Amino acid sequence: MSNHLFLLSPADSPLYTLTYHSSKPSANQPLPLSSNLPTWSTSAFAGTLTALSGATGVAQTGQTNQKQIGGGTDRAVVQMIANASLDVVEEAMRTNNAMYLKAVDKFNEWTVSAFVTPGNMKFILLHDSKNDEGIKIFFWDVWELYIKTMMNPFHTAYTPIRSPTFDARVRASAKKHL
Amino acid sequence: MASLKQHKAIGEDLWKARTDKINAELFTLTYGALVVQLIQDYEDYNAVNTQLEKMGYNIGCRIIEDFLARSGIGRCSDFREVGEVVAKVGFKAFLNITPTVSHSPPVASAPALSYFTLTLDENPLAEFVELPEEALEGGLWFSNVLCGVLRGALEMIQMQVEVDFLSDVLRGDEATEIRVKLVKYLEEEVPAGDD
Repeated sequence: MSNHLFLLSPADSPLYTLTYHSSKPSANQPLPLSSNLPTWSTSAFAGTLTALSGATGVAQTGQTNQKQIGGGTDRAVVQMIANASLDVVEEAMRTNNAMYLKAVDKFNEWTVSAFVTPGNMKFILLHDSKNDEGIKIFFWDVWELYIKTMMNPFHTAYTPIRSPTFDARVRASAKKHL
Repeated sequence: MASLKQHKAIGEDLWKARTDKINAELFTLTYGALVVQLIQDYEDYNAVNTQLEKMGYNIGCRIIEDFLARSGIGRCSDFREVGEVVAKVGFKAFLNITPTVSHSPPVASAPALSYFTLTLDENPLAEFVELPEEALEGGLWFSNVLCGVLRGALEMIQMQVEVDFLSDVLRGDEATEIRVKLVKYLEEEVPAGDD
């Protein structure tokens, strides 16, 4: 089961992204359409085509290297889904005053959950299985870590987050709750 | 010469007796904002270090009066004791931290060349701070104001010292260390115009 986390500043610029593959099994994997295409065809079009058609990609081999970008679910599509969901998030923000907006958008097998901080930071999580409680706790953990980062006087609301400690802690929290 | 335990006790009492304390986070955020603003104004990390030291010097000149009035500690017999009092009473009374002191080996021929090193295991000025790349390369000492405070305070009690940072955890070093080196004892000078 893979999850993609995006932290967006109030101006919607990405400050931090993380792709996390957890060991929890996801729903049944649909047969990848790309099995019809030759495996050497890793052109952007082919990848997008398979991803858009709902397949989970060619090289989804369970606990793979978390830094893998190509091969698996196409990175560009994931980002497109995240960006597209921002409109829905903003609409939900207007009506719902809570911070944790649950699942705001759905795209094939991806669900988008959002969390909006009082400082208008948006945390977007793309995930393919249902896990509301765990995700809520994960978002709260990320929020606390974000607050600690914000306390750094050199950090503004638009500074990309590059600290390795932040990264390590987010991963640990993802491991625990996702 | 008051013993170590007495220094600690005096420090504790001074801290508890102080009624106007400030929230630690507010203090940290204020100092952080100050440093960031200085960096934006001067754009040169060495100049920022100098400014922080100057500001500290002004603070030190005034803080020593407050310290002596409240603590009632008498004259220190030698530079070693100065180090002990600064660490256990001074820092404790104002910042509620007790840095560890390590003294230089005594040089019999030139007693004025002694120094002591303060090792701060926690630094309230630099909580949550992470220095960006440019600051690390530019040589910024984030808590340089402390050096100025020590220099100013000791100069008011007739000791000319050189204070500088040896290492800083913000810079990736193992510990935060400040070295206070005695240059000379100042003679009491009659102000000009007095007879």
